[in-house]
Amino acid sequence: MSDGSSVGVTARRNFMAKLGAGAAAAAMTAALPASARAAVPERKVQYGMLIDTRRCIGCHACTVACKAEFDVPLGSTRSWVEYVEKGNYPNVSRSFLPRLCNHCSEPNCVAVCPTGATYKRKEDGIVVVDPDICIGCKYCIQACPYDARFINPVTGTADKCDFCLHRVSQGLVPACVETCIGKARIFGDINDPDSEISRLIATNPVSVLRPEKGTQPNVFYIAADHTGENDRESGQYVSVTTHRKQKSRR
Amino acid sequence: MNEELLWGMPVVAYLFLAGVGAGAMTVSSSVLLRGGGGGFGGHHFDVARYGAFLAPIPVMLGCAMLVFDLGSFQTGHWFKWLNLYMVINLSPMSIGTWLLTLFVGVSLIYAYTFWPRDAAPGDRYDTLRKAAAWVGVPLGIAVAVYTGVLLGAMPSRPFWNSPILAMLFLLSSISTGVAVIMLARAVAHKRKLGAEDQVHYHESGYILTASDVLLIGFEIMVIFLFLMFAHLTVGDVRHAVSVILSGTLANQFWFWVVLVGLVVPALVELRYVIPRLLYHHAFAVPRGIEVVVPIAVLVGGFMLRYVVVVAGQITGPVGI
Repeated sequence: MSDGSSVGVTARRNFMAKLGAGAAAAAMTAALPASARAAVPERKVQYGMLIDTRRCIGCHACTVACKAEFDVPLGSTRSWVEYVEKGNYPNVSRSFLPRLCNHCSEPNCVAVCPTGATYKRKEDGIVVVDPDICIGCKYCIQACPYDARFINPVTGTADKCDFCLHRVSQGLVPACVETCIGKARIFGDINDPDSEISRLIATNPVSVLRPEKGTQPNVFYIAADHTGENDRESGQYVSVTTHRKQKSRR
Repeated sequence: MNEELLWGMPVVAYLFLAGVGAGAMTVSSSVLLRGGGGGFGGHHFDVARYGAFLAPIPVMLGCAMLVFDLGSFQTGHWFKWLNLYMVINLSPMSIGTWLLTLFVGVSLIYAYTFWPRDAAPGDRYDTLRKAAAWVGVPLGIAVAVYTGVLLGAMPSRPFWNSPILAMLFLLSSISTGVAVIMLARAVAHKRKLGAEDQVHYHESGYILTASDVLLIGFEIMVIFLFLMFAHLTVGDVRHAVSVILSGTLANQFWFWVVLVGLVVPALVELRYVIPRLLYHHAFAVPRGIEVVVPIAVLVGGFMLRYVVVVAGQITGPVGI
C-alpha cells in the first residue's frame, strides 16, 4: 500500500517541480486551469490529524490525557469521544467518533471574534485563543459548527483544543496521539506530501465533519459514521452518546 | 429545551432594548427633520422630543447587560471588555461595538438639545439638534440592522443564518420604537389640552399609528417569507424552523409574537386609522387603547427576540 502511494506522491512531486520551474512566470500560471494553479505549493505548514475510527475502541484515554495535560476544568472537554449506536435488531452497529477542534482552514470562529483574541497561526495553521485578550463574549462558541469551544469557568475566556501547541513546538505529538493505545490518531503536516498523515489521507477514503459548512476542517477521519440523532426520522434507531456536559450534538 | 443556552436572557433583553432605542432614535430624528421643525412645520416636535429622551436609555441599559454577561466580567475581570476598543475588524460584533458607542454619544447629544423646558424649533440648539438628527437616522438603522447581521453571520446556526433576519429586526426595531413613543405620549401628556393642542396631539398620534400599521404589515410579510422559504427547503433550515412552527417554541411564537405582537395591534390600529385615512374623520383614540396597543407591540418585540435567540441555539446542523 505504501509503495503504491509513494509512487503516486513522487509522480505528483515531479509534476510540481516541473510546474514550478516552467511556470514561474505569472503569465503561464494565469493560463493554467484553476485546479492546477491551486496546486502550486506554498509550503506552509498546516498541522492536521487523521483519526482511523476502525482502530478506536472508545476507551477515552485521549479525553483523559487531554484533561491531564491542560487541567481542563470539570464539566468541560477539549477532546471527547462520541458513541454512535444505530440500527434495528439484528442489523445494528456501534462506532466511536473521537472529537476535537478541527483547526479549520476557513475558521468561522476567527471570522466572528471581535477582539482578535482567536486567530489561526500563520506558521503552523493551529487555531488558538489568546486568553489575555479574549473577553468571553461566546460569539466563537456560537459560530463553531463542531461545538469544539467552551467558556473556561476559571478564566472566563473561550477555550478549546490547540493541538497541544506546547508539545508540538518541542517536536512532540499531542497528548491524545501519544496516549492512543490503538494508534488510531495520526498527527502531522498535511501540506508535506511525504508526511505519514498526507500519505494515509491520499491512500484512504477519508471524510471530514460537516464539510457543507465551508470551514475546510483539517481533522480527517477514516470510516467515520456520520449518522446523527436527526436520522431517526428515517425510522432507524439512532443513539448518540456525547460523553460531555452537552447531552446532544448541536 | 433542557439545553444550556450560551446567550440567555441578558442577550435577549439587549437585542430588544437596543432595538427599541435605535427605533426611537430613527423615528424621532426623521420626524424632527420633517414635521418637527423641518420643512413641514413644527407640529410634531413633541414626538421628536419623546423619542430623543427614550433613545439613549434602553441602549445603554442593554449594553450594560451585555457587559455583565461576558465570561471575563463574570470571573472578575471588570474592565477586560475594553479590549473591544483595541481593534476594528469585520466581526459584526466589532462593528456593532463601534456603532453602539457612536450611537450612545450622538443620542445623548441629541437628547441634550431637547433638555431645556422651552425647547422648540428654531431655538439656540436647533443647528446641533438637526445635525444630530441627520446622523441619528442612519445610525439608528445601522444599530437595528447589525443585531440581525450579528446572529446571521454563522453557518453553524441555521435558524439565524438568513439575510432576512436583519430586515425583520430592523422593522421590529422601528415598530417598537414607534410604540415606545406612543406609550410615553399617552402616559405623559396632560389630561386637559387646549383645543388646538388637542388637534395637534391627535394628528401626531395618527402619523405614529399609521406608520406602525405599515411597519407591522411589512413585519408580517417578512416573517411569512422567512417561514415559507425555510419550510420549502430541506435539511438544516427546515429542521430549525420547525421548532417555532410546531416544536417547543410554537406557543411563544404563534401566540405572543404573531397574535399579541402583530395581528391584534395591527387590527386595533387599523380600526382607528381607516376612518381617518379613507373618510377624513377626526382621529381620536381612547387613552386606554393608546396605552394597551403599544404595550402589546413591545411585548411582541421582546418575544420575537426571545424566540429567535432561543430557537437559534437549540437547533443546529442536521447530521455530523
